[in-house]
Amino acid sequence: MTDDELKRMVRKSYGEIARSGGSCCGPSGCGCESAPVQDEISRRLGYADEDLQAVPAGANLGLGCGNPIALASLQPGETVLDLGSGAGFDCFLAAGRVGPDGRVIGVDMTAEMLSRARENARAGGYANVEFRLGEIEHLPVADGSVDVIVSNCVINLAPDKARVFREAFRVLKPGGRLMISDTVLLRPLPDGVRQSVGAYVGCLSGAIGRQDYLDLVRDAGFHEVRILGESPMTLDCMTNDPTARAIMTDMNLPPGLVAGLGEFIASIQLSATKPERRGSASSPSFSVCD
Amino acid sequence: MRRDLQEILCCPVCHGDLDLAVITEDEVEVLEGTLHCRACGIDYPIEDGIPNLLPPGEGAF
Repeated sequence: MTDDELKRMVRKSYGEIARSGGSCCGPSGCGCESAPVQDEISRRLGYADEDLQAVPAGANLGLGCGNPIALASLQPGETVLDLGSGAGFDCFLAAGRVGPDGRVIGVDMTAEMLSRARENARAGGYANVEFRLGEIEHLPVADGSVDVIVSNCVINLAPDKARVFREAFRVLKPGGRLMISDTVLLRPLPDGVRQSVGAYVGCLSGAIGRQDYLDLVRDAGFHEVRILGESPMTLDCMTNDPTARAIMTDMNLPPGLVAGLGEFIASIQLSATKPERRGSASSPSFSVCD
Repeated sequence: MRRDLQEILCCPVCHGDLDLAVITEDEVEVLEGTLHCRACGIDYPIEDGIPNLLPPGEGAF
Protein backbone atom coordinates (compact mmCIF):
# COMPACT_ATOMS: atom_id res chain seq x y z
CA MET A 1 0.00 0.00 0.00
CA THR A 2 1.42 3.40 -0.98
CA ASP A 3 1.66 6.40 1.35
CA ASP A 4 -1.20 8.11 -0.48
CA GLU A 5 -3.38 5.01 -0.19
CA LEU A 6 -2.64 4.84 3.52
CA LYS A 7 -3.60 8.49 3.97
CA ARG A 8 -6.86 7.96 2.11
CA MET A 9 -7.63 4.95 4.29
CA VAL A 10 -6.90 6.88 7.48
CA ARG A 11 -9.02 9.82 6.30
CA LYS A 12 -11.91 7.55 5.32
CA SER A 13 -11.84 5.65 8.59
CA TYR A 14 -11.70 8.72 10.79
CA GLY A 15 -14.40 10.35 8.66
CA GLU A 16 -16.63 7.41 9.49
CA ILE A 17 -15.79 7.76 13.18
CA ALA A 18 -16.68 11.47 13.04
CA ARG A 19 -20.01 10.75 11.36
CA SER A 20 -20.83 7.95 13.76
CA GLY A 21 -20.52 10.28 16.73
CA GLY A 22 -17.72 8.61 18.59
CA SER A 23 -15.20 5.89 18.67
CA CYS A 24 -17.05 3.20 20.56
CA CYS A 25 -20.29 3.03 18.68
CA GLY A 26 -18.76 3.16 15.25
CA PRO A 27 -20.07 1.81 11.98
CA SER A 28 -19.97 -1.69 13.37
CA GLY A 29 -22.11 -0.67 16.36
CA CYS A 30 -21.37 -2.14 19.73
CA GLY A 31 -24.62 -1.17 21.40
CA CYS A 32 -23.09 0.70 24.30
CA GLU A 33 -23.57 4.28 25.40
CA SER A 34 -20.69 6.16 23.83
CA ALA A 35 -20.03 9.27 25.91
CA PRO A 36 -19.53 7.57 29.30
CA VAL A 37 -17.14 5.09 27.70
CA GLN A 38 -15.11 7.87 26.09
CA ASP A 39 -15.01 9.87 29.29
CA GLU A 40 -13.89 6.83 31.28
CA ILE A 41 -11.08 6.18 28.78
CA SER A 42 -10.03 9.82 29.01
CA ARG A 43 -10.04 9.71 32.81
CA ARG A 44 -7.72 6.75 32.72
CA LEU A 45 -5.43 8.65 30.35
CA GLY A 46 -5.00 11.38 32.95
CA TYR A 47 -7.62 13.97 32.07
CA ALA A 48 -9.42 15.55 35.02
CA ASP A 49 -13.18 15.42 35.45
CA GLU A 50 -13.26 19.21 35.16
CA ASP A 51 -11.55 18.93 31.75
CA LEU A 52 -14.13 16.45 30.53
CA GLN A 53 -16.94 18.68 31.70
CA ALA A 54 -15.34 21.83 30.25
CA VAL A 55 -15.59 20.84 26.59
CA PRO A 56 -18.69 20.77 24.40
CA ALA A 57 -20.51 17.46 24.25
CA GLY A 58 -19.23 15.49 21.28
CA ALA A 59 -15.71 16.94 21.32
CA ASN A 60 -14.22 13.94 23.08
CA LEU A 61 -14.27 10.94 20.77
CA GLY A 62 -12.08 8.87 23.09
CA LEU A 63 -9.45 8.38 20.40
CA GLY A 64 -6.19 9.69 21.87
CA CYS A 65 -3.41 8.36 24.01
CA GLY A 66 -3.91 11.32 26.34
CA ASN A 67 -1.87 14.50 26.49
CA PRO A 68 -2.67 16.09 29.87
CA ILE A 69 0.95 17.05 30.68
CA ALA A 70 1.17 19.14 27.52
CA LEU A 71 -2.08 20.90 28.32
CA ALA A 72 -0.94 21.63 31.86
CA SER A 73 2.21 23.34 30.54
CA LEU A 74 0.36 25.95 28.48
CA GLN A 75 0.64 29.60 29.52
CA PRO A 76 -1.77 32.49 28.97
CA GLY A 77 -1.18 34.25 25.66
CA GLU A 78 0.55 31.37 23.90
CA THR A 79 -0.18 30.28 20.33
CA VAL A 80 -0.82 26.52 20.22
CA LEU A 81 -0.97 24.24 17.19
CA ASP A 82 -2.68 20.84 17.51
CA LEU A 83 -1.54 18.30 14.92
CA GLY A 84 -4.48 16.03 14.13
CA SER A 85 -7.06 17.92 16.15
CA GLY A 86 -10.00 15.61 15.40
CA ALA A 87 -13.23 16.83 16.95
CA GLY A 88 -11.33 19.44 18.94
CA PHE A 89 -11.15 17.98 22.47
CA ASP A 90 -7.56 19.03 23.23
CA CYS A 91 -7.99 22.32 21.35
CA PHE A 92 -10.85 23.35 23.59
CA LEU A 93 -8.94 22.42 26.74
CA ALA A 94 -5.91 24.32 25.41
CA ALA A 95 -8.09 27.34 24.61
CA GLY A 96 -9.09 27.63 28.25
CA ARG A 97 -5.47 27.57 29.35
CA VAL A 98 -4.04 30.12 26.89
CA GLY A 99 -6.98 32.45 27.53
CA PRO A 100 -8.37 35.27 25.41
CA ASP A 101 -4.90 36.60 24.51
CA GLY A 102 -3.76 33.22 23.24
CA ARG A 103 -4.96 31.22 20.29
CA VAL A 104 -5.27 27.60 19.31
CA ILE A 105 -5.12 26.23 15.78
CA GLY A 106 -6.19 22.69 15.01
CA VAL A 107 -5.05 20.98 11.79
CA ASP A 108 -6.69 17.78 10.62
CA MET A 109 -6.91 16.11 7.22
CA THR A 110 -10.40 14.71 7.77
CA ALA A 111 -13.13 17.12 6.67
CA GLU A 112 -15.83 15.36 8.70
CA MET A 113 -13.76 15.71 11.86
CA LEU A 114 -13.26 19.43 11.24
CA SER A 115 -16.97 19.97 10.66
CA ARG A 116 -17.64 18.40 14.04
CA ALA A 117 -14.87 20.46 15.61
CA ARG A 118 -16.33 23.64 14.19
CA GLU A 119 -19.81 22.77 15.42
CA ASN A 120 -18.31 22.09 18.83
CA ALA A 121 -16.50 25.44 18.77
CA ARG A 122 -19.74 27.22 17.96
CA ALA A 123 -21.60 25.33 20.68
CA GLY A 124 -18.93 26.18 23.24
CA GLY A 125 -18.54 29.82 22.15
CA TYR A 126 -14.77 29.53 21.69
CA ALA A 127 -13.38 32.73 20.18
CA ASN A 128 -9.71 31.75 20.23
CA VAL A 129 -9.84 28.38 18.43
CA GLU A 130 -9.57 27.91 14.66
CA PHE A 131 -9.48 24.81 12.52
CA ARG A 132 -7.87 24.15 9.16
CA LEU A 133 -8.08 21.26 6.79
CA GLY A 134 -4.48 20.28 6.19
CA GLU A 135 -1.81 17.64 6.41
CA ILE A 136 0.65 17.47 9.24
CA GLU A 137 3.41 16.65 6.73
CA HIS A 138 2.62 19.90 4.86
CA LEU A 139 1.58 22.34 7.57
CA PRO A 140 -0.22 25.44 6.26
CA VAL A 141 1.40 27.50 9.01
CA ALA A 142 4.06 30.20 8.66
CA ASP A 143 7.65 29.74 9.85
CA GLY A 144 8.36 30.58 13.47
CA SER A 145 4.78 31.45 14.39
CA VAL A 146 3.82 28.97 17.12
CA ASP A 147 4.80 28.70 20.81
CA VAL A 148 3.68 25.14 21.47
CA ILE A 149 2.82 22.16 19.30
CA VAL A 150 0.59 19.53 20.84
CA SER A 151 -0.53 16.27 19.26
CA ASN A 152 -2.39 13.37 20.75
CA CYS A 153 -1.84 9.94 19.24
CA VAL A 154 -1.70 11.11 15.62
CA ILE A 155 1.87 11.20 14.31
CA ASN A 156 2.00 7.39 14.26
CA LEU A 157 -0.58 7.61 11.45
CA ALA A 158 1.68 9.71 9.22
CA PRO A 159 3.60 7.71 6.62
CA ASP A 160 6.49 10.25 6.67
CA LYS A 161 7.08 10.95 10.36
CA ALA A 162 10.48 12.59 9.77
CA ARG A 163 8.76 15.20 7.66
CA VAL A 164 6.14 15.83 10.35
CA PHE A 165 8.87 16.63 12.86
CA ARG A 166 10.73 18.86 10.37
CA GLU A 167 7.52 20.75 9.75
CA ALA A 168 6.87 21.06 13.49
CA PHE A 169 10.38 22.49 13.91
CA ARG A 170 9.84 24.96 11.09
CA VAL A 171 6.62 26.47 12.43
CA LEU A 172 7.77 26.75 16.05
CA LYS A 173 9.28 29.99 17.30
CA PRO A 174 12.85 29.75 18.61
CA GLY A 175 12.47 28.44 22.16
CA GLY A 176 9.11 26.91 21.25
CA ARG A 177 8.24 23.45 22.47
CA LEU A 178 6.88 20.21 21.16
CA MET A 179 4.58 18.49 23.69
CA ILE A 180 3.11 15.35 22.20
CA SER A 181 1.76 11.95 23.04
CA ASP A 182 1.91 9.01 20.69
CA THR A 183 2.15 5.26 20.42
CA VAL A 184 5.54 3.58 20.02
CA LEU A 185 6.49 -0.06 19.63
CA LEU A 186 8.35 -1.86 22.37
CA ARG A 187 9.09 -4.75 20.03
CA PRO A 188 8.15 -5.68 16.46
CA LEU A 189 4.50 -6.52 15.86
CA PRO A 190 3.49 -9.96 14.61
CA ASP A 191 3.38 -10.05 10.80
CA GLY A 192 -0.39 -10.47 10.58
CA VAL A 193 -0.99 -7.35 12.67
CA ARG A 194 1.72 -5.29 10.99
CA GLN A 195 0.14 -5.80 7.58
CA SER A 196 -3.40 -4.99 8.68
CA VAL A 197 -4.88 -1.69 7.52
CA GLY A 198 -7.23 -1.85 10.49
CA ALA A 199 -4.24 -2.07 12.78
CA TYR A 200 -2.68 0.92 11.03
CA VAL A 201 -5.75 3.08 11.47
CA GLY A 202 -6.08 1.88 15.06
CA CYS A 203 -2.66 3.42 15.90
CA LEU A 204 -0.85 0.09 15.98
CA SER A 205 1.03 -0.81 12.84
CA GLY A 206 2.03 2.73 11.85
CA ALA A 207 3.89 3.05 15.15
CA ILE A 208 7.68 2.81 15.14
CA GLY A 209 10.18 1.82 17.82
CA ARG A 210 10.66 4.16 20.75
CA GLN A 211 14.34 4.86 20.03
CA ASP A 212 13.65 5.41 16.33
CA TYR A 213 10.93 7.88 17.32
CA LEU A 214 13.28 9.86 19.58
CA ASP A 215 15.96 9.84 16.86
CA LEU A 216 13.52 11.36 14.34
CA VAL A 217 12.67 14.15 16.77
CA ARG A 218 16.37 14.90 17.36
CA ASP A 219 17.20 14.66 13.65
CA ALA A 220 14.63 17.39 12.97
CA GLY A 221 16.76 19.71 15.12
CA PHE A 222 14.99 19.53 18.47
CA HIS A 223 16.93 19.71 21.72
CA GLU A 224 16.02 18.52 25.22
CA VAL A 225 14.07 15.55 23.87
CA ARG A 226 12.52 13.87 26.90
CA ILE A 227 9.97 11.20 27.61
CA LEU A 228 7.81 12.62 30.41
CA GLY A 229 5.59 9.61 30.79
CA GLU A 230 5.19 6.14 29.40
CA SER A 231 2.47 3.60 29.95
CA PRO A 232 1.41 0.35 28.36
CA MET A 233 -1.26 0.90 25.73
CA THR A 234 -4.19 -0.91 27.20
CA LEU A 235 -6.08 -3.06 24.79
CA ASP A 236 -9.49 -1.64 25.54
CA CYS A 237 -8.28 1.85 24.60
CA MET A 238 -6.95 0.61 21.28
CA THR A 239 -9.92 -1.48 20.45
CA ASN A 240 -12.34 1.28 21.34
CA ASP A 241 -11.65 2.42 17.82
CA PRO A 242 -14.02 0.53 15.50
CA THR A 243 -11.37 0.19 12.84
CA ALA A 244 -9.01 -1.41 15.31
CA ARG A 245 -11.82 -3.74 16.31
CA ALA A 246 -11.61 -5.02 12.76
CA ILE A 247 -8.29 -6.57 13.67
CA MET A 248 -10.11 -9.03 15.87
CA THR A 249 -13.20 -9.62 13.81
CA ASP A 250 -11.96 -9.46 10.23
CA MET A 251 -8.56 -10.98 10.64
CA ASN A 252 -9.60 -13.86 12.85
CA LEU A 253 -6.57 -13.42 15.02
CA PRO A 254 -6.42 -15.86 17.90
CA PRO A 255 -7.69 -14.31 21.14
CA GLY A 256 -4.35 -14.99 22.80
CA LEU A 257 -2.51 -12.87 20.24
CA VAL A 258 -5.00 -10.02 20.51
CA ALA A 259 -4.81 -10.06 24.29
CA GLY A 260 -1.02 -9.92 24.08
CA LEU A 261 -0.83 -6.89 21.80
CA GLY A 262 -0.60 -4.57 24.78
CA GLU A 263 2.92 -5.89 25.40
CA PHE A 264 4.05 -4.64 22.01
CA ILE A 265 3.01 -1.04 22.24
CA ALA A 266 3.25 1.85 24.68
CA SER A 267 1.87 5.35 24.92
CA ILE A 268 4.54 7.99 25.52
CA GLN A 269 4.34 11.65 26.39
CA LEU A 270 7.29 13.52 24.96
CA SER A 271 8.66 17.05 25.22
CA ALA A 272 11.33 18.71 23.09
CA THR A 273 12.51 22.27 22.47
CA LYS A 274 13.48 24.24 19.40
CA PRO A 275 16.76 25.92 20.34
CA GLU A 276 16.78 29.69 20.72
CA ARG A 277 19.53 29.87 18.16
CA ARG A 278 19.88 27.63 15.19
CA GLY A 279 22.46 24.92 15.94
CA SER A 280 25.07 23.90 13.42
CA ALA A 281 25.30 20.19 12.72
CA SER A 282 21.72 19.18 13.33
CA SER A 283 20.06 22.34 12.15
CA PRO A 284 17.41 21.63 9.57
CA SER A 285 17.46 23.73 6.46
CA PHE A 286 14.37 25.08 4.80
CA SER A 287 14.63 22.27 2.31
CA VAL A 288 11.38 20.85 3.65
CA CYS A 289 9.78 22.51 0.63
CA ASP A 290 9.26 20.24 -2.30
CA MET B 1 -11.79 31.60 9.51
CA ARG B 2 -11.15 34.84 11.33
CA ARG B 3 -9.16 37.44 9.45
CA ASP B 4 -6.78 38.11 12.32
CA LEU B 5 -5.52 34.54 12.12
CA GLN B 6 -4.61 34.82 8.46
CA GLU B 7 -1.19 36.19 9.35
CA ILE B 8 0.15 32.82 10.42
CA LEU B 9 -1.33 30.91 7.49
CA CYS B 10 0.85 29.94 4.56
CA CYS B 11 0.78 27.80 1.46
CA PRO B 12 1.37 24.17 2.46
CA VAL B 13 3.47 23.63 -0.67
CA CYS B 14 5.83 26.64 -0.83
CA HIS B 15 5.14 28.25 2.58
CA GLY B 16 4.47 31.56 0.85
CA ASP B 17 1.86 34.15 1.80
CA LEU B 18 -1.77 33.69 0.81
CA ASP B 19 -4.14 36.34 -0.54
CA LEU B 20 -7.66 36.23 0.88
CA ALA B 21 -10.70 36.69 -1.35
CA VAL B 22 -13.98 36.80 0.58
CA ILE B 23 -17.28 35.56 -0.85
CA THR B 24 -19.33 35.64 2.35
CA GLU B 25 -18.53 36.57 5.92
CA ASP B 26 -20.40 37.40 9.07
CA GLU B 27 -19.39 39.72 11.91
CA VAL B 28 -16.97 37.12 13.25
CA GLU B 29 -15.29 35.36 10.37
CA VAL B 30 -14.97 34.54 6.69
CA LEU B 31 -17.43 31.78 5.82
CA GLU B 32 -16.80 31.24 2.11
CA GLY B 33 -13.91 32.39 -0.02
CA THR B 34 -10.48 31.47 -1.29
CA LEU B 35 -6.89 31.76 -0.22
CA HIS B 36 -4.66 32.23 -3.24
CA CYS B 37 -0.96 31.42 -3.40
CA ARG B 38 0.65 33.72 -5.92
CA ALA B 39 3.83 31.66 -6.15
CA CYS B 40 2.11 28.34 -6.85
CA GLY B 41 -0.99 29.74 -8.56
CA ILE B 42 -3.22 27.58 -6.34
CA ASP B 43 -6.61 28.59 -4.92
CA TYR B 44 -7.40 27.02 -1.55
CA PRO B 45 -11.14 27.17 -0.85
CA ILE B 46 -12.72 28.31 2.41
CA GLU B 47 -15.95 26.40 2.95
CA ASP B 48 -18.24 26.71 5.96
CA GLY B 49 -15.53 28.74 7.68
CA ILE B 50 -12.85 26.08 7.31
CA PRO B 51 -9.89 26.75 5.00
CA ASN B 52 -9.01 23.69 2.93
CA LEU B 53 -5.22 23.78 2.94
CA LEU B 54 -4.60 20.21 1.91
CA PRO B 55 -1.84 20.02 -0.70
CA PRO B 56 -3.21 19.80 -4.27
CA GLY B 57 -4.36 16.30 -5.10
CA GLU B 58 -5.27 15.60 -1.49
CA GLY B 59 -8.15 17.99 -1.14
CA ALA B 60 -11.12 16.18 -2.64
CA PHE B 61 -13.90 15.78 -0.13
